[in-house]
Amino acid sequence: MHLDSAQERILRGDMGEAKQFAMEIASKVGDAVGADKLVPIKSAHVLAHYSSLHDAGVEVLERFANSGGKFAVPTSVDPASVDLQQWRSFGIPEDYARQQLRLCEAYAKMGGMRCWTCVQYQICNFPKKGDTVAWAESSAVVFANSVLGSRSNKITAGMDLACAVLGLTPRFGMLLDEKRRAEVSFRLDLGGLSDLDFRSVGFFIGRHSGSRVPALLGLPATVTSDQIKHLGAGASAAGPVTMIHFPGITPGSPTVSAAAGGERVEEVEITRSDLGDIEADLNQMSEIPDLVAFGVPHLSVNELGELARMLEGRKLREGIRMYAYTSSQAYDMANRAGISESIERSGARVSHSTDAEISPLKALGFDTVLTNSAKLAEIVSSEGEIKVGYLPQKEIVERVTA
Amino acid sequence: MNPTRMKGKGLVAGTARGEALVSRIAFTFAHGVDPSTGVVTDVRSDVRGERVKGKVLFYPFGKGSTTASSWFLETVRLGNGPAAIVTEGVDLSVVIGSVMAKILYGKEIPVMAGVSRAASAELESGDVVSLDAEKGIVRLGL
Repeated sequence: MHLDSAQERILRGDMGEAKQFAMEIASKVGDAVGADKLVPIKSAHVLAHYSSLHDAGVEVLERFANSGGKFAVPTSVDPASVDLQQWRSFGIPEDYARQQLRLCEAYAKMGGMRCWTCVQYQICNFPKKGDTVAWAESSAVVFANSVLGSRSNKITAGMDLACAVLGLTPRFGMLLDEKRRAEVSFRLDLGGLSDLDFRSVGFFIGRHSGSRVPALLGLPATVTSDQIKHLGAGASAAGPVTMIHFPGITPGSPTVSAAAGGERVEEVEITRSDLGDIEADLNQMSEIPDLVAFGVPHLSVNELGELARMLEGRKLREGIRMYAYTSSQAYDMANRAGISESIERSGARVSHSTDAEISPLKALGFDTVLTNSAKLAEIVSSEGEIKVGYLPQKEIVERVTA
Repeated sequence: MNPTRMKGKGLVAGTARGEALVSRIAFTFAHGVDPSTGVVTDVRSDVRGERVKGKVLFYPFGKGSTTASSWFLETVRLGNGPAAIVTEGVDLSVVIGSVMAKILYGKEIPVMAGVSRAASAELESGDVVSLDAEKGIVRLGL
């Protein structure tokens, strides 16, 4: 990858240790993927949760922060591994929380936005059509490419900080027109879709696209950005998908043919029985769960409102926890609207700035988890320590409340 | 035919030798290797239960979470990292993990890509291999 003279100086260390560290990572990655050069980004989204970064990740972030590293562009951050306000009341061990708080402090020192969420595009990070960004969080990358018409590769931990500190990212993959073309087209003709269906459709697409860019026809005209959020999260949990062309929604893709650059592509019909297979695969238990988890990715304030209505007049059964995960911003709005209060009246809790898949679930004593999130079900089941059930939200609520 | 010599592309330079650990399917360090032991824990892995420590780790592709680079780095930090990694497709997580391991912990873990499954088909876990990522060559034997 070609570096210009200013970038060469950064690599030599003329602009300080933090930028040099960043450039060493970015230049090696650029070479590895065959990028031609580094290009400017409008925003970054980074990872700073202890569950996956471990002590080594704390050292990486602190090395950046303590050697003068500052984010060169507006930067948001994925959820933390603990609820940053209420972690004690969720039973999080002190030493675990302390490591997470070190990550928070280093991140803040570098000038990052304090919105710990995986749905930054609904909360605090709003690129426009055509903007190049460098985002970690695979589900958000799908949303950026498919709905916003922005351009992002799925940026790996470590590289995320490098791009944010440099304000640059290697040009390859989804930044290039020819790599964004649809190569396979899925079609839905199933009538009404449940909350679970949107996630299962995404999961099916992720599993069957391989390394191809998919398109999807047949979403209802009433589809919401929340439904697309969960569809994209299902897809990126099941495979390497970073973009789905939704003709009529995705900028520049009014038709499948336009999305495919005029080429003919394979067409795949998604049937009820395909979705049944996904459900059978992800729904691995029928017993009463220790934990019910909603909000992987984070629920919007509208989704919290729906949950509150569903829980109205119901009480959570003894011995079961139910957590609804959201951003701190949606949490504040839900508080002001009385939504949190009505959810908590049922015995459920609203947890913010963290999420289930990056929480220490096993250490908190959860052996069984029931969810309507295909992403959570996939992650938890691959670790093999916790049993997972996968059902629609309404069915879960009916099963665990009275 | 014995693959006594395989060619690939060096992504992070360095030389290494050691026993091969060969996975024939997609591999990830994220939720897939226990950093405190170096043991492969991924329920879907064909080398589950094996240790990556000191091995020349072969797999075709990476998969899963973008946090794999940190899982890799933590495994190295705790002294349980592999000697080298050889893949078919580029797995960015180990490229980034290896660059960070060099800077933070002074550990050199060469990374190569472009070694196809066909080229490494005869290779078995336990075979001793040596590699030079600068030259992009893996040799069977010392």
